[in-house]
Amino acid sequence: MVGTPVLFIAIPLMAAFLIPLLGMIWKELVRIVPGLVLTYLLILSINLLDHVLAHGPIVEVIAGWGPPIGINLVFSALSGFLVVLMEFLGLLVWAYSYRFKRNVDYEPALKYFLMLMMLITGSVGIVLTGDIFNMFVFIEITSISAYGLTAFYKGRNSAEASFKYVMMGSVASTFLLLAIMIIYAQLGTLNMADIANKIHLMNPTLKIVSYIFFVTALGIEAEIFPLNGWAPDAYAEAPGPVGAAFAGIVVKAAVYAIIRYTYTIFDLSGTFNFLIIIGMITLIIAETAAIRQEKLKRMLAYSSIGQMGLVMVAFGFGTEEGVFAALFLMLNHAIIKSLLFFSGSYLTYNSTDKKISEVNGMSKFLPITSLLFALGAFAIVGLPPFAGFWSKLAVMTAAADSNMILIMALVLIVSVVELVYYLRVVNRVYFYKKEADVKPKRPTVNALIVMITLGAIILLVGFYPDAVTGLLHKASAGLMDKTQYIHNVLSVR
Amino acid sequence: MNTIYIIFLIFLGGAVFTYFAGKIHKVLQDILFLVSILVPAYLFFANVEIGQNVNLTLGGISLSWGINYFSWLFSLIVLGLGSLAAIYAVGFMKGEKRRGYFYFNFILSIMAMTGILLSRDLVSFFVFWEIMTWSSYLITIYNGNKVQSIGIKYFVFSAIGAYAMLMAIVMVHHITGSFLIGDMIHAYPAMALSMQIWIPIMFLMAFGVKAAMMPLHVWAPGAYSNAPMAYTSVFSGALSKMGIYGMTLVLVTMVNHIPQGVWFREVLAWLGGITAVIGTLWAIQQDDAKKLLAYSSVAQLGYIITGIAIGTELAMLAGLFLAVMHALFKGTLFMVVGAIEKQTGTSNFTEVTGLIRKMPWTFLSALLAIIALAGIPPLGGFVGKWMLYESLITSNHYLLVIVIFFASTAAFLYCYKFLFGFFMGQEEKEWAHVKEAPAVMVLPMLIMALFMLVLGTFPGIILNPINHGLQALGYADSYKHLWDTSIILNSWGNKVVLQPILYSIAGIFLFFIAFLTWKGYKNTRFISTKDISSSGEVPKEDENLTFSVGFMQPFYRAVEPAMRRQIDKYYNAFADGLEATFEFLRRIYTGNGQTYAIYVIVFVVVMLLFKDFLF
Repeated sequence: MVGTPVLFIAIPLMAAFLIPLLGMIWKELVRIVPGLVLTYLLILSINLLDHVLAHGPIVEVIAGWGPPIGINLVFSALSGFLVVLMEFLGLLVWAYSYRFKRNVDYEPALKYFLMLMMLITGSVGIVLTGDIFNMFVFIEITSISAYGLTAFYKGRNSAEASFKYVMMGSVASTFLLLAIMIIYAQLGTLNMADIANKIHLMNPTLKIVSYIFFVTALGIEAEIFPLNGWAPDAYAEAPGPVGAAFAGIVVKAAVYAIIRYTYTIFDLSGTFNFLIIIGMITLIIAETAAIRQEKLKRMLAYSSIGQMGLVMVAFGFGTEEGVFAALFLMLNHAIIKSLLFFSGSYLTYNSTDKKISEVNGMSKFLPITSLLFALGAFAIVGLPPFAGFWSKLAVMTAAADSNMILIMALVLIVSVVELVYYLRVVNRVYFYKKEADVKPKRPTVNALIVMITLGAIILLVGFYPDAVTGLLHKASAGLMDKTQYIHNVLSVR
Repeated sequence: MNTIYIIFLIFLGGAVFTYFAGKIHKVLQDILFLVSILVPAYLFFANVEIGQNVNLTLGGISLSWGINYFSWLFSLIVLGLGSLAAIYAVGFMKGEKRRGYFYFNFILSIMAMTGILLSRDLVSFFVFWEIMTWSSYLITIYNGNKVQSIGIKYFVFSAIGAYAMLMAIVMVHHITGSFLIGDMIHAYPAMALSMQIWIPIMFLMAFGVKAAMMPLHVWAPGAYSNAPMAYTSVFSGALSKMGIYGMTLVLVTMVNHIPQGVWFREVLAWLGGITAVIGTLWAIQQDDAKKLLAYSSVAQLGYIITGIAIGTELAMLAGLFLAVMHALFKGTLFMVVGAIEKQTGTSNFTEVTGLIRKMPWTFLSALLAIIALAGIPPLGGFVGKWMLYESLITSNHYLLVIVIFFASTAAFLYCYKFLFGFFMGQEEKEWAHVKEAPAVMVLPMLIMALFMLVLGTFPGIILNPINHGLQALGYADSYKHLWDTSIILNSWGNKVVLQPILYSIAGIFLFFIAFLTWKGYKNTRFISTKDISSSGEVPKEDENLTFSVGFMQPFYRAVEPAMRRQIDKYYNAFADGLEATFEFLRRIYTGNGQTYAIYVIVFVVVMLLFKDFLF
């Protein structure tokens, strides 16, 4: 073994303390060091995932206190997959924003990269932890960095957006804490595996109440309707790469948390149908709202919310196929939506309003960026032979095997809506005349490399889905096997 | 490596290389474009054996590619017409912008159509189907005109169809546990009744969209006329046939096995008939040749749908023969319009006239294609229509015969309009500079015209593969029984002997030719539009005196009430209504943080209230 899961938390935290000091030596280090940290963590996560796929999950005990008393980190196929995805996207976001705004001077850059690193660390922590209070802490770390990043431009609108986010976020942490308190009062333990083991001892009403509180709290972060009021504003006002980080990293972590509670910890009946209902409502409302948006990032934000709704629906099937489809969707959404945010930011770089009409005719000035945006748009609506198609097919197959014909029809009808608004934007990019006062901005070299990498992954997964399906099948099998998870954690001494 | 893989690799690699070759040299791009269509077409016909299959597994789904006699028939249309249109496109696209974009999508759509015919499983069928949709969509909006209306309308209709098909595919997978088409056909007779009815309906939706069947045809006139003509000949000639291909498969392999299938067939046949009438009426009214041909395509596809929906042996032969003929003559006609547009800059009858002496070869191909379209012997359209009428009568669809006969007779009006509008009439000074189109454009048209001529006399050349294809679908051999190699030399048909009719038609035709030549020779006078010595009125300076203006007005006035209700308007009203609803839903996001906080509280309260119901 090359390392342990605890490094995912320890190294960035340590780096976060050191970076301001290093910045005193050479200012450029503030930008470089987070990249080095993320690169190392990505390599580490890939190695660990390799090990886990061959030898089974790693359960790391912190400070010598074994479960159920101490805090433990679980690196399984599922969490490993998500950690690799998050570190990878984090690295891309870092590389993309390395010179995103050249005029940004030392102090904002320091804050930006520190907060970005903490955002990724918090999200990775949510996925890795095996302890519900520890998860609360990581959610707070993630949220606080997210608030800061939303308000990065220090304008009136970004401050307002950030404040809305803070407001909703504090409601979320209140409910989360309440739910944890109920569980601790009832069962006297905070370890997930231990709770899952003893959950049948709990008072049924309190069990339901605590589940509702959990879902409310995590639903705010996971952008479930009607708890996602903060999301469009935050996406629209935060810098472009941060939008990608929200869609690709933060939301994924929150969805993982909901799924962990639903699949592993609670044994309530009806939770799967509940996931389908809220997922469906989120999907429909978000996609219909997206078609009427005038700002590009807002449209992408609503589309992102809609996709998360679809992920919820897929998890709600409750079958291994459904989980597989949902994980595939999460992977595709992370890659494709990041590409859309990355390229979309350059299409509307110099505009203040970020209106969709301002992308008109950009293909002549930003050919590669436009092409990649079009590729992302085609991929996310699920056109073959791009990555999005295979996840769509997986969702539909899973739905058919669960006999959810109405759900299938609704999802497909909503897909048509999605298709319309993406094609409208792509048509504007390629076939409209550029407005005279819009100044295109050429992407930096590292941004181009990042976007081309994502485009290449979309094509790779599209033409050769076997590159990821094996891993996803293992991850979904791991999530379905609850007793194995409990056994793995509790058998560690 | 198997030839099928090589074909796809050449297509894919060719598309990418052609796209980037434009940065090096234009001629290199043209050559690469031709190579990446003609070479796979050659390999396909030379090396791919019928009945041979290749299997591969992708993403845990086993895929299978191969060809049978039935799909081979359609590959004749796709790759034959595709190759000729590719040669034509090189001439057509000379000096145009976005050539790389056009070539890339052209190659991809030919690849997708070949892929559809090769697919023996539903997933690759769907994948190629969608690639075909988006590549043709991208060419449709090539000009940049009306991209948001015409382009999106085409894509939305295609997507609705394709998603219906996707639903059917996953439901079939749920029932059979396999994506193979063969397994689906085997399992179909044992399915529950609701599935037996819904699965064909959903497949037919997808195919009906591409085959421009009423009421799913509203995208077709816009898309056909908006795409560059070099592609429209493939679009209308070959791509629409993919709908016919799928429809035939569904009808023969599924609908035939259930008693309710009769209703499917009746409804489809009538939809085809109505499509033919509506398309014809709209075609007559058009002043733009592209629009005229687009509506005429819709109408012609109506005949084909009627033919295959009736489903007797003769009707199938007629429908498929008409499908091949339609690919030939409509491909030629769209090329003709493209050549005229390229040389004169417009495709409107009311502007350009009298081209017969300036573009003689184009005229010749247009003439032959029009004769074939109108169904006049000795060109191929006649045989197809004759067989269609006979099959309708022998299967007791008398009312439908009247409908089809009306459409086909009314079609003479727009045939005449097309031929006369462009080529006859006064020779204007404005068009004195017009020259014949370049050889690369004329040659494909002439080749196709030649084919039409040959097939008109020797329909057996194409009826033989159709017969093989139908046998592959389980029909009996009909050679010497329903058709023969030549309509003149061999005996033909089991009810009516064709030869006397043919001879009399030919006699009348020759008589009129002789009569008109003799009569016309004496009276020929070359005049311009402004020469109005024959009438007493003095026209205004800006008045358009081209004789095509207001052509067929009396006829149009007579049928106008029937055309006032357009399905298109209902669709547009529906879409507007939806957008208004979406606007209302969007307002849930007020932008006010306090409202959002209330939403959270309401959510928690509702959840707590309904907790016993939910969990």
